[in-house]
Amino acid sequence: MRCSLPAIGVVTVALLAAGSAYGAADVGPGAAPRMEFTPLRAGTYRLQSIQRVGEATLLDERGKPVKLSTLTRGKITLLTFFYTYCVDPLGCPFVHETLTNLRDRIVSDKALAQSVRFVAISCDPTNDTPAVLSQYATSFTTRSPFEWRFLTAPAVPALLPVLDDFGQDVSVETDEHGRPTRTLHHMLKVFLIDAGGTVREIYTLAYIQPDVMMNDIRTLHIERSATTSVVRR
Amino acid sequence: MRYSFRFAALLTSVSVWMGLAPLEASADETCNSPYISNLIKGQEDFVHVWTLGEPGLGDASDKLVTLDANPKSKTYGKVVSTVSVGGRGEAHHMGFTDDRKFLWAGGLDDSKIYVFDVGTDPSKPKLVQTIADLPAKSGFVGPHTFYALPGRMLIGNLSNAADKGGVTGLALYNNKGTLIEKYAMPTTAIGGVKGDGYGYDIAVNPAKNVFVTSSFAGHKNYMRELGDLMKDGEAMKNFGSTMVVWNLKSMQPTQVLSVPGAPLEIRWSLAPGQNWAITAAALTSKLWLVKQDAKGTWVAKEVGAIGDPAKIPLPVDISITADGKGLWVNTFMDGMTRYFDISNPEAPKETYSKHTGSQVNMISQSWDGKRLYITSSLLAHWDKKGTDNEQKLRAFNWDGHALTPAFEVDFTKEKLGRPHHMKFTAKGGQSLALAALRK
Repeated sequence: MRCSLPAIGVVTVALLAAGSAYGAADVGPGAAPRMEFTPLRAGTYRLQSIQRVGEATLLDERGKPVKLSTLTRGKITLLTFFYTYCVDPLGCPFVHETLTNLRDRIVSDKALAQSVRFVAISCDPTNDTPAVLSQYATSFTTRSPFEWRFLTAPAVPALLPVLDDFGQDVSVETDEHGRPTRTLHHMLKVFLIDAGGTVREIYTLAYIQPDVMMNDIRTLHIERSATTSVVRR
Repeated sequence: MRYSFRFAALLTSVSVWMGLAPLEASADETCNSPYISNLIKGQEDFVHVWTLGEPGLGDASDKLVTLDANPKSKTYGKVVSTVSVGGRGEAHHMGFTDDRKFLWAGGLDDSKIYVFDVGTDPSKPKLVQTIADLPAKSGFVGPHTFYALPGRMLIGNLSNAADKGGVTGLALYNNKGTLIEKYAMPTTAIGGVKGDGYGYDIAVNPAKNVFVTSSFAGHKNYMRELGDLMKDGEAMKNFGSTMVVWNLKSMQPTQVLSVPGAPLEIRWSLAPGQNWAITAAALTSKLWLVKQDAKGTWVAKEVGAIGDPAKIPLPVDISITADGKGLWVNTFMDGMTRYFDISNPEAPKETYSKHTGSQVNMISQSWDGKRLYITSSLLAHWDKKGTDNEQKLRAFNWDGHALTPAFEVDFTKEKLGRPHHMKFTAKGGQSLALAALRK
């Protein structure tokens, strides 16, 4: 995923002219995901337990500190990293369009509507302040009661351990002289987290297949319902 | 843990922000999964070579050797870094993590997995983690193929800890190095063909929700002197003769395909919309095509010979072009590098060949197909003896008609060992630490 930095970064970027002597490699364009199969029916397969989500304190759209665990537990969560100014057609806009469509399918399913949330964490806390996030979030949250939260960090050092825990790389492209350009790279990843806070699936670009994602969500919901049922007995 | 290492490195680069370290790195050969991070399609800057240690040579340890592969560099064609792992465990294959920041490299004898950071500075890889629990936690030994899935590494193994035979399975680790699941290779009939339980390569096709595995031999065979092994009729029966089609979502085998003669590397066509894969059977020297029939059932079909199969040229590695129309094949015994036109994958045609060494093994091409790299070592006990036991990496340029030498590195002369698997990286990019500067 490639995203251009906003103009605010230009001056600082220019100050980095004395940076490393590394040039940028030629990154080929991403390819839109294809799906040429009938997905397995929800509940007929088991999703792996990939890793637990670590704890962190981030900022919500109002600038209030929020523990990440409060937004990665209690519901099935789809979590992704993004930038508000990303314009890559196969980057953040693509993911958010996919998530918007998934949200509409989820809210139309009464069994799922209250059991799923989305969380989007900015990779650029310098630009994506709570105020910027609040404005950005409007287009995704005003028309629906669905829980879709947008988070940022007070500064990059506070974000780094979160990126590290999720294995989410973010880097800045350099020009032929080794100077940082206005383009950021981060690998598109969407994390599916169960209600207990464990990552159960990760979707990179080739795996952004909405029907599969929907069935994975339903599979976790079925799994959770079965667990709850056993506990009640 | 390497994540702690990476976090520490990132934090350091924030705090000393004038010393920004390059983080983004990768150029790709066509054998890498194109389905994870975007491939880098320009000039590779470095070739990393997973190298077997040789007793009495240098430190005798397995090591990751990094060569400068950029013709514009002052150190072009030279060794710029070596990282020894402190032991000799039959270094063999390696694979990038999903973000191409780390290389996982395995030892077929000691079953250790070494994780190298090639993202922070690809000119100076660092060993950041050693995973030694594969046999204890999975029962498998001989980690061979490292195939990245999102946030995970799927490992195709060659053998098992109990009897060191060829029955084995797949091990799935998360990127932090923790085993998530293990999957036995099928030993029962699925789709009318009985599984042999053997394993080797892995290749994923997300558009079809499938992956395919191939099959080779167990520790008892691949760690034995080749001359002795070939005289042992019973042991020679213990080679894989199947490929398996798996459902990627459920990780369950759905079909076993009969492919006699130890099918090794598997390459999906990278051309958009193509859904066929090709492999080479080592012992029979045949190319096999894997595709769906009209009913959607996967079938394996023999589509051509490599050299003269009667002479057992032993095809050991293949490299498909990015457009899916060409295939390079290295045959170990005769030291030949062959190019096949596979525009029609049902009928590959050899259109070029060149003797590239007294023994040749792995072959990797740049994404643009203009550069080709060849190494010499197959396995420590299978390499040739005497003067034929040259241990070199040779780089060539390809103009579509002929291979011309670019550079070569003599791994014996440099006291490095036996060069085997190769991966490419490129310079470029800086860490997110830059963001801190924009305050």
